[in-house]
Amino acid sequence: MTLKNANQTQLRFKARDPVLVLDMDKAGHVRTPFYVRRKIGEVIDFRGYFLNPEELSIGNTAGPAVALYRVRFMMKDLWPNYNLDRTDVLCIEVYDHWLAPIANDEARP
Amino acid sequence: MRGYHDIGGDESGPIPMAEQPWQHWEKQTEAVRNLLGDSTRRVLSLDELRLGFESFGIDKYTKYSFYRRRLEAMIDSLEKKGFFTRVEIEQELEDIRARWVDPDSCKKA
Repeated sequence: MTLKNANQTQLRFKARDPVLVLDMDKAGHVRTPFYVRRKIGEVIDFRGYFLNPEELSIGNTAGPAVALYRVRFMMKDLWPNYNLDRTDVLCIEVYDHWLAPIANDEARP
Repeated sequence: MRGYHDIGGDESGPIPMAEQPWQHWEKQTEAVRNLLGDSTRRVLSLDELRLGFESFGIDKYTKYSFYRRRLEAMIDSLEKKGFFTRVEIEQELEDIRARWVDPDSCKKA
């Protein structure tokens, strides 16, 4: 189901934008696993607007719909002592409100 | 905040690779869940169900199988919404067990 979102005409992120995943310390049903929180990744693409599962989980079906992005992380950035292929990546879908923009020069050491 | 279900990346030890046959009651559970969540009924969304088994306690979560978690969370939620009580379900189960006959008993000896 793809929804249109009247409130959000302009997407905050585009492909290749570096993003920081927020640690929102939010109780209840969230779909952002702990291991990507506070990590820096790169937006792959926008996947559409969806009703927020955090709201759906408590029966709020009225919206608004939120933007969902695919974000890519280097596996070596997610796991300490990652000893497999250093170029391995993890792709995961993250909702807009869990992402913060960061400047390009902060993203790459 | 990290839910007890949010275990991606944790050490698990060896993973048992035996094929698990899909049991009839598991298919029924999933079928009922789909009907309850479809766009004409909207009785119970998948995210409500997820919140249910992500918050009903780690003891149940680790003890129950994938479909048993869903079944128990579904019963919890339907009870909370006033469709029936656990006591009524238990009574119904008892009645059905009492009149149950082994399907093999209709085969010729």
